[in-house]
Amino acid sequence: MKEPEQKLVVPNGWLEALVRKLRVQGTRVLAPVERDGAVDFREINSADEMAANYVNTRVPLKEILFPRTETILEFDQPSGGDVVFSGVEANAAPTIVIGARPCDLSAIGVLDTVFNWDYHDTFYGQRRANTTFVGVACREADGNCFCGSVAGGAGENEGSDVFVRPTADGALLEIMTERGKKLAQSIDDAAPAAGKEEPLPVAATEERFDVEKIKGWLDDHFDDDFWLDVSLKCLGCGACSYLCPTCHCFDIVDESDWRGGERRRNWDCCSFALFTLHTSGHNPRPDQQSRCRNRLMHKFKYFVERFGRRACVGCGRCIRVCGAGQNIVNVLIDITRAEAATSGSA
Amino acid sequence: MPASTDQAIDYLPYKMRVEKITEETPDVTTLKLLFDDHQQAEKFTFKAGQFGLYSVFGYGEATFCIASSPTRKGYIECSVKRAGRVTQALHSLLEGDTIGFRGPYGNCFPVDEMKGRNILFVGGGIGLAPVRSVIWNCLDRRDEFGDITICYGARTVDDLVYKEELKEWEGRDDINTIFTVDPGGETPDWSGKVGFVPTVLGEAKISSDNAVCILCGPPIMIKFTLPVLVDTHGFAKENVITTLENRMKCGVGKCGRCNVGNKYVCKDGPVFTCAEIEEMPPEY
Ligand SMILES: Cc1cc2nc3c(=O)[nH]c(=O)nc-3n(C[C@H](O)[C@H](O)[C@H](O)COP(=O)(O)OP(=O)(O)OC[C@H]3O[C@@H](n4cnc5c(N)ncnc54)[C@H](O)[C@@H]3O)c2cc1C
Ligand code: SF4
Ligand code: SF4
Ligand code: FES
Repeated sequence: MKEPEQKLVVPNGWLEALVRKLRVQGTRVLAPVERDGAVDFREINSADEMAANYVNTRVPLKEILFPRTETILEFDQPSGGDVVFSGVEANAAPTIVIGARPCDLSAIGVLDTVFNWDYHDTFYGQRRANTTFVGVACREADGNCFCGSVAGGAGENEGSDVFVRPTADGALLEIMTERGKKLAQSIDDAAPAAGKEEPLPVAATEERFDVEKIKGWLDDHFDDDFWLDVSLKCLGCGACSYLCPTCHCFDIVDESDWRGGERRRNWDCCSFALFTLHTSGHNPRPDQQSRCRNRLMHKFKYFVERFGRRACVGCGRCIRVCGAGQNIVNVLIDITRAEAATSGSA
Repeated sequence: MPASTDQAIDYLPYKMRVEKITEETPDVTTLKLLFDDHQQAEKFTFKAGQFGLYSVFGYGEATFCIASSPTRKGYIECSVKRAGRVTQALHSLLEGDTIGFRGPYGNCFPVDEMKGRNILFVGGGIGLAPVRSVIWNCLDRRDEFGDITICYGARTVDDLVYKEELKEWEGRDDINTIFTVDPGGETPDWSGKVGFVPTVLGEAKISSDNAVCILCGPPIMIKFTLPVLVDTHGFAKENVITTLENRMKCGVGKCGRCNVGNKYVCKDGPVFTCAEIEEMPPEY
């Protein structure tokens, strides 16, 4: 939890008014919208388009900053072996995202690290600079949410520009950043919080395992039959990674006809057999077992060693989407039990 | 963690013109590339061991080391083994054609730390490409280094790359050379050795005193050569330097493809000592 820069109270109807105002200004507003049974971030013109009850969106926030496919350059091949090519601007229209969940906002922190730890990725950076996130505390979780075990839980404000805590007759707004302050200027009827406001209770996401135990076990169990067990429940389809808010692997490919085309980057996934395949036929991760291990090790060990934070925020999407019933919570619980057993016997 | 580069990356390559094409072997071609933009050419610098992403537009990008020496300015060379989609397209180019290049990426061979020391270069097949960059780097500053030995082998005489340069190195009296081809790969007029690199190296008189070894080649060659260097010739694993070639897409620590444990081969490598590699999970 972070101390907000500013706290404001707003009456019911504030959101409707804000969306109206932003749309009149021509600002792009994205919010969770239900369509064909799935809730996803879509452009809205009015707050009544927003889904009323949703635990979380199907596709995570990452798609707003890092689309599943995007053109990174264009080329023309006029004739005679010459090629004319040029970069493209990231489509980074100023955007306000309303209704993001704390887990997904915490995942943006992971993406910020990846896309900036060394080189600064311009496509990601331009969108990031033009996007304001309005997070909202979760009043409801489902059985697959486990943010309380790996991240800040359903009321975590870190990562939001403005964080909304619903109250009985409106909301308490926590203004977290400069971008948030700028947005707050468009919010009518906001009054400084008196400190007596009582936000409605957030969803209970109690701790389901001791996350501090995980890395210790991973450190010592690179070679272990455990990974074979885990992999037997994996089809290698990549659905978990596509919907994971922190997974960021990508591929770069050219698409063209005889005259010209474009270079694109597309989401990719370390669960795919071809991901690491060398052209010689050698594959450093030759089986599903090593690929499942890499995905988990990356989130709970390698990323921690490298950047000092975990790369799983407990959103539960990978559990909801997996067609084979893979459940990362059960895997993590098994690991903590194994760790307890080994440290107990030592 | 290496220092952050603090540069922006937009994946836009330099425009390069194919100045010269040399067919090294039936499946390896060396391309000499010039920058289309003179200002870019002047600003461009790199270090031996670094790599880049070379692209044929419409086919995609592929990773190759820069095979020329940083002491030779104004151009770069890469030697490409025909293996798949992009490498096939690179082999189909004509002189004057345009390709893309972005880089240089990755770390480099510790050439400055090698000053005053004896150097053993060991290469196998196309693995001589990154080694060649260091060899010319050292030869162009010859008096800064001790004894230089080049041990190079390929499957057959036909498969030896840089044939003209091998002759040149063989003719110099300030370099020791050991060239070999696999048994059955020799021709009647082959004057070098016949035998696998590890075997030939094991029989050679080599001192590890004040020496460093640069070793690049197919994984199988590295696997059998390392014990020869360590057990027979007494090299410490810290002094045997090689490169890893995990598959890469971005080259700049983002796409997640090249990792070995918590290391990014594209950022922390591709150059590693054998001691460093031993510490990694075996995913290379
Ligand atoms: C740091 C580093 C340095 C390197 N340096 C060098 C170097 O100096 N020289 C060098 O030669 N190599 C080098 N490599 C290896 C080089 O990157 C690969 O050989 C190259 O990327 C292969 O690209 P490709 O597009 O031709 O192969 P791909 O197309 O990716 O081939 C993948 C596999 O698919 C097969 N395949 C390709 N196209 C098709 C198709 N249409 N249908 C069916 N199968 C297909 C291929 O036969 C191959 O087995 C280096 C690699 C790294 C990481
Ligand atoms: S969604 Fe399930 S089956 Fe598909 S890769 Fe992930 S764990 Fe494996
Ligand atoms: S690994 Fe699963 S639970 Fe963790 S952040 Fe990714 S999708 Fe959410
Ligand atoms: S090549 Fe993309 S992370 Fe190393």
